[in-house]
Amino acid sequence: MKNILIILISLFLYQGNASALVIGSDLNEITIGANFSGQDLLVFGAFYSDPSLPRDAKGDVIIEVKGPPQTVKVRKKKSFYGFWLNNTEVTFKEVPGFYYLTSTTEINDEILNKNNITLLTQQDTNDIEWGNIRLTKDRRDFLNAMKRNKNNLDLFSVNNESSQIDILDGNLFKTNIPIPNTVPIGDYTVSVYLLINSELKKDYSYGFKVKRIGIESMIHNLAINYPLIYGLLAVLVAGLMGWISAEMFRRLRKA
Amino acid sequence: MNIYLPIAELSVNIFIILSLGGAVGFLSGLLGLGGGFLMTPLLMFIGIPPNVAVATSANQIVAASVSGALSHWRQGLVDVKMGMYLLLGGLFGSFTGIWIFKLLSSAGQIETFLAIVYFILLFSIGTLMLIESSQVIRDRIRKKTVKRKLHYHNWAHRLPFKVRFYSSNLYISVIPPIIIGYFIGILSATMGIGGSFILIPSMIYFLGMPTSKVIGTSLFQIIFITAFVTLLHATSTFAVDAVLAFTLILSSVIGAQLGVIFTNKFRGEELRALLAIIVLAVAFKIGTDLLIQPADIFSISTIKELY
Repeated sequence: MKNILIILISLFLYQGNASALVIGSDLNEITIGANFSGQDLLVFGAFYSDPSLPRDAKGDVIIEVKGPPQTVKVRKKKSFYGFWLNNTEVTFKEVPGFYYLTSTTEINDEILNKNNITLLTQQDTNDIEWGNIRLTKDRRDFLNAMKRNKNNLDLFSVNNESSQIDILDGNLFKTNIPIPNTVPIGDYTVSVYLLINSELKKDYSYGFKVKRIGIESMIHNLAINYPLIYGLLAVLVAGLMGWISAEMFRRLRKA
Repeated sequence: MNIYLPIAELSVNIFIILSLGGAVGFLSGLLGLGGGFLMTPLLMFIGIPPNVAVATSANQIVAASVSGALSHWRQGLVDVKMGMYLLLGGLFGSFTGIWIFKLLSSAGQIETFLAIVYFILLFSIGTLMLIESSQVIRDRIRKKTVKRKLHYHNWAHRLPFKVRFYSSNLYISVIPPIIIGYFIGILSATMGIGGSFILIPSMIYFLGMPTSKVIGTSLFQIIFITAFVTLLHATSTFAVDAVLAFTLILSSVIGAQLGVIFTNKFRGEELRALLAIIVLAVAFKIGTDLLIQPADIFSISTIKELY
């Protein structure tokens, strides 16, 4: 609520500026606790047209959310005597662990590519380890397979054809970004781009964090930083649970 | 209601996990089997990553085998000395198993490996159990009684390093128990199972142990093997999910006790025939997944950053 007030106040303060774009979110961190099963992130903002532009200038907004970079291996299966086994492998580095894109109107891929609003930037594309995959068509298959598989896990979603953004009052916009339960931990960036007549005029970005809290964070830290203690505890607790249950049911049966 | 698994890094419906643990526990209590060979594939069916399924299943078996071994221990049905020799081989086997597991994981073949080995394993167990139980049922109908030998004298009695096992009333070489233990260790670390369904017949036929001591001794050594495998996985694959393991244990110990109560209400051979059919159904599902062209021939795996 506080954020929304700040936005509204700044809206009045910025009144004189041309094509200002003010945005915010309802959360600056998403916490993963024991009962986390995904959460929506509200992104909202305001845009208003530049007085110096012609009255019929068309303003569009693109919202892009990128998660922390990860290394992803994509494997292709091949039939060996009737058995489907993994055969070729491509390694993508620096793939955003979460990617979400939406816009107020249909934005074509050309504009997105021109402004580097894509899952993999030009630099990331150069870092791909293609192995023995040489043909452009085969490489595209691997890239599409990665997007498709990430989409199935709700970790990749591009909605540049049907808008998920609500426009209120002509110059206020808001959208809910679904953060799934499979979401990786780390730093995220929300970028909002303002297009005037399909030309990128302004962009603004801010970050939020996804982190573990409470028991989830304790267990994970123990498992990674003190794996031996974690393993011993896991064995000990399991042994105790087995022993207690056996004793309990033995007494129960005697009674 | 959902529960977030901190190591698998996804949330699952807690009731699915509880009913899975309860069902596998019930079957294991009913039939006196460990149930790990059903637990791991079923966990993978519901979307748990294979490394987490294997490592966590080993952790769950620690509890199940402690619970089972206690009653055999009280009745003096554990041959500790034999268990120690099996364990000795098993510890080396677990190291080999973890090494194989990591090698196949990095080559991207662990899922296929598990599918093939589980298919062979479940198909053979299911078929053998179905044949055995249907024979017993047939013999019962024909009112035939089968005489069994007390124990077998075979090659295991002619090897060197002979040791006297007073509890089992045996004088055999220590080489066969160590080798058997070694293979069980490999299976345990790669597949997340206790291996009792292989261990028990091996102890009877290869070592010639008395049947009364076999189950207790096998449970006794499985406690330590699966505990060791859990430790190895925790420190090398970081795939033991304690939240998943404890949830499974909670429901499986209750399921197992209910299973024990129900044992007296049914005939053993009919129960074994029923389990054989369940095992064959799981084997069939794994087999067809290997043979039928997958809907998507591409798959992805994310390299976990450890922090």
